[in-house]
Amino acid sequence: MFELIINILLFIFLGFTFFTHVLEAAVPQKVALNPYVLQPDVWPKTIIVLLEICLIINIIKIIKKNKGNPDFSLAAFGKSIPEFLKGKVFRGIVIMVAASLLLETLGFMVTSVLVLFSYGMLLGEKKLPRLAIASVCITLVLYIIFNGMLSVNLPRGTIGFLRSFALWMESVIGAVKSIF
Amino acid sequence: MSMGELLASGLAAVFNPGMFLMVLLAIVLGTIFGALPGVSATMAVALGLTFTYTMEPIPAIVFLTAIYCSSITGGSITAILFKIPGVPSSAPTTFDGYPMAQRGEAGKALGVALLASAIGGLISAVAMFLLSQPLTKAALSFGPSDLFAVTFMGLSILTCLDSDHILTCIISGLLGLLLACVGQDKMYAVQRLTFGSRNLLAGIDMIPVLIGLFAVTEVFKQTDPKKKRISAEDGVTGGKVNTKMPSLKEIWSIKWTMLRCSVVGTVVGILPGAGATIASFMCYTMETKLSKYPEKFGTGIIDGIAASEASNNAATGGAMVPLLSLGIPGGNAAAVMMSALTLKGVQLGPLLLTNQPTYLSATFTTMIVTNILMVIVAMGIAKVFAQILAIPYSYLGPIILMLALIGTYGDQMSATSVQIMVLAGVLGLIVRACHLNSAAIVLGLVLGSMCEQNFSRGYLMSKANVVAMFSPVQHPIAFVLIIVCIVLLVSPIVMPLFKKKKA
Repeated sequence: MFELIINILLFIFLGFTFFTHVLEAAVPQKVALNPYVLQPDVWPKTIIVLLEICLIINIIKIIKKNKGNPDFSLAAFGKSIPEFLKGKVFRGIVIMVAASLLLETLGFMVTSVLVLFSYGMLLGEKKLPRLAIASVCITLVLYIIFNGMLSVNLPRGTIGFLRSFALWMESVIGAVKSIF
Repeated sequence: MSMGELLASGLAAVFNPGMFLMVLLAIVLGTIFGALPGVSATMAVALGLTFTYTMEPIPAIVFLTAIYCSSITGGSITAILFKIPGVPSSAPTTFDGYPMAQRGEAGKALGVALLASAIGGLISAVAMFLLSQPLTKAALSFGPSDLFAVTFMGLSILTCLDSDHILTCIISGLLGLLLACVGQDKMYAVQRLTFGSRNLLAGIDMIPVLIGLFAVTEVFKQTDPKKKRISAEDGVTGGKVNTKMPSLKEIWSIKWTMLRCSVVGTVVGILPGAGATIASFMCYTMETKLSKYPEKFGTGIIDGIAASEASNNAATGGAMVPLLSLGIPGGNAAAVMMSALTLKGVQLGPLLLTNQPTYLSATFTTMIVTNILMVIVAMGIAKVFAQILAIPYSYLGPIILMLALIGTYGDQMSATSVQIMVLAGVLGLIVRACHLNSAAIVLGLVLGSMCEQNFSRGYLMSKANVVAMFSPVQHPIAFVLIIVCIVLLVSPIVMPLFKKKKA
């Protein structure tokens, strides 16, 4: 049922996109009036039309394949939603979404420690003190390799003391680098 | 300068103890840089440049060329171990490399990848040395219609990616093509499909989508307790890592695969644009077609890794031809390489052979030497990297996520890229549930923009006459390639129907 719903939603979304969002700005006059130019909307619109045709065929295929299947119902799908929301995969997604949204605010180091610790727990690690120490150590190693040695500018964070800490770390690494 | 004199000057420049040590150091650095997610070949050359400020031109050229070659090879290490393709052209390496690593054959997978890379690189370097001028002329005769046909050929493998789900593969490929349209249109800068988001104006970057669809989705999948999950206490391979390299018999069994893919890779690499990506996907499919056991591709066989790695390295070597002979960089890494060489006083272009033949021969000879030495040096590094798989998954999983995050952030220095990566990871789960194909989405996304641009240019040049664009008289290459594409696209759909009728 999930497959069918996604296909139908995609079909509707693409239909909406076709009429409203393919072109979001005016085409320059010189381009619009040139009969030899492939207009900027032709390529995406062609792809959308082909996609819509394929989706219709796929929807028919899914319905035919699942005819008579008792699990192929909205009720069965509805039941599976709370199960998914309580599941580990959903919690994993929440951790990563939160990390991506908080990365620039908290900075790399705090985000990294939180992700390593929380995801490690989610994956079944029982020895939490060891996991906590490992999270801090791994973060430091990653920070030293990428920020210190390879000059990948990792986010410092926007919260005052976190930013100050990141700047202090950078100055320490800089001082160590200057010795060598 | 004759070919013999050129070769002699190149050998004289490279074959001395000091230079040899420098090549070794560059290979170690390049392979490690390439193996770290977030450090692309482009960045590796940029980082290597800092070491060369005080060097004379020839040692600097030797050092940078060795870093350039080995960093691209190093990219296959993360593709095999963590399913993180550092560059789009390494994506097909994950299809067979990652399942092998999961089975505890990481050493064998890495060994094949490195050897195939070296052979691909070696063949392209020799081809460049011998055929640099005619190959450049041939590549220059390719017009937009021909380039569209070459790109379309890369796309025509969509129907071959999963023979059980052809329709969903086509849907996935089309979705990838549509994603490539997001942002300002590359020809006339008209805003398309951004839904008002300023962050999408520059389009959707490939790296976050690649890393999200492959690496992040894989960790999400392993989080599901219902799936046959790797235990928290043990590593990916149950705590044991087999770093045994492939046997001579196994290497011998893939000799034709490596040769074929190296030749095709070199030819495709010379064409400007995303040569290495098209080459690796094209060769992977070509090998599934030619193989006696096509059903085993994607389950973890050495043939798949050899096809992808030999071709993408050969293509990278091939990209050096237009760079040196014409001063046209084939990609980002080649562009940085071009700036680095220019900084050292190399006059790239047609006059290089006349004015600075030693620089040209040093570059070619270094590529040959690097590819030979790389097999030994990089295998040692790969063995060390393979041990990472013995780390318990409750630690390795989050480390992979953090490496993916750094890799994505480091590419554009933008949190939006990280958000796109996470979205792509979730999309990967939906893709699996709906029997869609991640590789097909990536293929569409990578080739979409180039396909559209070349079609647009060809359309304009042929005065809106599509038939003339592929006419056998005006554009024979495009005509032949389009016929091949149609056969490739249609045959997996039509052939089973014929077989059914016969049965």
